[in-house]
Amino acid sequence: MTVQVSHIFRLSALAASFFIGFNLLSPPVLLARPLRIGEINPLTGKLAKHGQEIHEGILFAVEEVNKRGGILGREVQLVSRDDQSLPEVAINQTEDLVYGVGVAGLTGGYVDSLVGPISEIAARHRVPYVASASLQRNLTIGRRNPYFFRVSRLDGIVEPLCGFLTSQLRPKNAAVLFSATPGSSEFASEMRTCLKQAGVPVSTFDKFRPGTSDFSSFLMKLRMERADVLISGGFFPDHLLLARQMKDQKLSLRAYLGPWGVAYPSFIEEMGSASHGLFGMCAWNPGITLPGTEQASEAFVNGFRTRFAKQPNTTTMHGYSSARALLAAMEKAMGKHGGVNGDALCRELRSLDLLLPMERLVFDDNGDPRYYRQVVVQIQEGRMVTVYPPDRATGSIVTESP
Amino acid sequence: MMLQFLVNATTLGAFYALVAIGFSLILGVTHAFNLAHGEMLLLSGYLAYFLGKHFGAPLLLILPVSMLTMLFAALCLERLLRRVPEPHELNTLVITFGLVLLLQNAMLMAFSANYRIVAPETGPGQTPSSTLFLSETQVLILGLSLAATGAVFLLLKRSFLGKALRATIQDGEAARLAGINVKHMHLLAFGLGGLLVGTAGPLYARTAYLHPFGGMEATLIAVILTIFAGVGRIRGLLIGGWILGLVESGTVLLLGTNWRELASSLILIALLLLRPEGLLPKWAKTRP
Repeated sequence: MTVQVSHIFRLSALAASFFIGFNLLSPPVLLARPLRIGEINPLTGKLAKHGQEIHEGILFAVEEVNKRGGILGREVQLVSRDDQSLPEVAINQTEDLVYGVGVAGLTGGYVDSLVGPISEIAARHRVPYVASASLQRNLTIGRRNPYFFRVSRLDGIVEPLCGFLTSQLRPKNAAVLFSATPGSSEFASEMRTCLKQAGVPVSTFDKFRPGTSDFSSFLMKLRMERADVLISGGFFPDHLLLARQMKDQKLSLRAYLGPWGVAYPSFIEEMGSASHGLFGMCAWNPGITLPGTEQASEAFVNGFRTRFAKQPNTTTMHGYSSARALLAAMEKAMGKHGGVNGDALCRELRSLDLLLPMERLVFDDNGDPRYYRQVVVQIQEGRMVTVYPPDRATGSIVTESP
Repeated sequence: MMLQFLVNATTLGAFYALVAIGFSLILGVTHAFNLAHGEMLLLSGYLAYFLGKHFGAPLLLILPVSMLTMLFAALCLERLLRRVPEPHELNTLVITFGLVLLLQNAMLMAFSANYRIVAPETGPGQTPSSTLFLSETQVLILGLSLAATGAVFLLLKRSFLGKALRATIQDGEAARLAGINVKHMHLLAFGLGGLLVGTAGPLYARTAYLHPFGGMEATLIAVILTIFAGVGRIRGLLIGGWILGLVESGTVLLLGTNWRELASSLILIALLLLRPEGLLPKWAKTRP
């Protein structure tokens, strides 16, 4: 026993002296305490696909900063948490990040049912939260939360889509289908208002539960009511099913439009030729970038491909943009005050002006992005072609129905 | 249009029945509440998806491969659940819940979080008339579902083995006393259940999307239909499936998509209150 104890003691002393010596010889950056930011995303569960895409965008942004030497010599540490696509888990994980880990700021989040609870905890503990994918209006306008910011907004989808429908497509009879989620419901009611103001009758206005797998009766209804345009506020898997079942039922529409989930390379890959002619929307995609950011966009695509061995998409870019905003604010706060706290970070976020591939990011008084605006794309022979707004169009509409 | 509605609703109902038969049979014979039923269906769906997408395998080849694979998986599950101590029902529930988590995460690692679907046929589908549209998938679902239900029904009704299975469903202890090897019956129920899941999985990949966390929906369908029909009641499952399909489709058509779940929940509650023994009349209680 004595031999064992003295052996352990000798080993510990050796380890301690090695550790001290190593630290004395290392550059000072390694001694500095890392800056920690927290990220909550649905990495498992029903929303895992998009949660993982956002996570990769955030991770890429953090690694990019660290490769440049961190923020004023301090490494940025990303602490990731999985909310399992469940609001109650999102709350627990956020509290752990705020209380347990003590992060300087929060980012990530997909869909408002998960982003909403995170934003409330952020406000309670005065930790800034830059959400990656959030749309619901009352998170910013109805209830002022000075610690909540986001890189997307509903108007950035509704306005271009409304413009496209009323000026280009001009439907005779539209149908609106939407998912029972806060953002999708709000989107649907905005679209109905827009169409009615343009004099377009909306014959069908239906809500469905996420996870619904049979749309055959709904499609029959569209046929009976002779709808020529379907605006579908569902998500990626809903579009897969709807497009498939439309093809099966040989339902011919002038246009099928899905703002979330159609403009993805993986959607085109899954649907094959059946995706031809469908309309989607995106804020960014490889080859679809804000004018003036072509080089930055290409650098992002190349860097991302090298790091993750896959192509980024619009959701990845939302994650990247939200992390870039938080990191830029941290850098400014560190430069001014030599440290970061919630209020200082919020001040810097409010005065931020960043030109990113997805948008020029300036937050308004409510924490919404002032210049966020998506484009309408149509899938044509396996490629995404921008068809609206006219100043960003790269091709014209093809009329074959999906 | 009415004909189209009936075709769509009965296809949906037949598919529900096909999903539920394996679950109901296993629950009836072994009293094992297999919460991982949906995940097994997903595994079979993924198998069909990859065989089709990467090897260009036709459904005729995919079906036997999927059935054999799921037969093997179900027999492994039977070996696992055989060791579960009493109370058997509760413990199988806990074990299979653990299995759900395990399979979900294994599928997430193996197949990623991407949503998959078997792309629609690009060629002309089956169209008996200009107003009735019948896709290849609908024909397959109706055909395979009726064939599987019919085969299980005949096995239970016309064979000695079926009689032994029915006896085990009614009272396992009495069946043992009557000389039936109950362990073999359990093996048989899991084997049949696996074959049925292997039949339903490739069709699931054609009608729903595949996602590692999407199995619970299928398990719920199986549980609801089993309550509808009564445990181990094959005819009841098919009739229950059709009623559910008609109610859901009719509700969507008349009231809207958001009323669908409410209508099926109301039917289920009413049935539990008025006919707790299942859909079929009391005189048919001893029949499969």
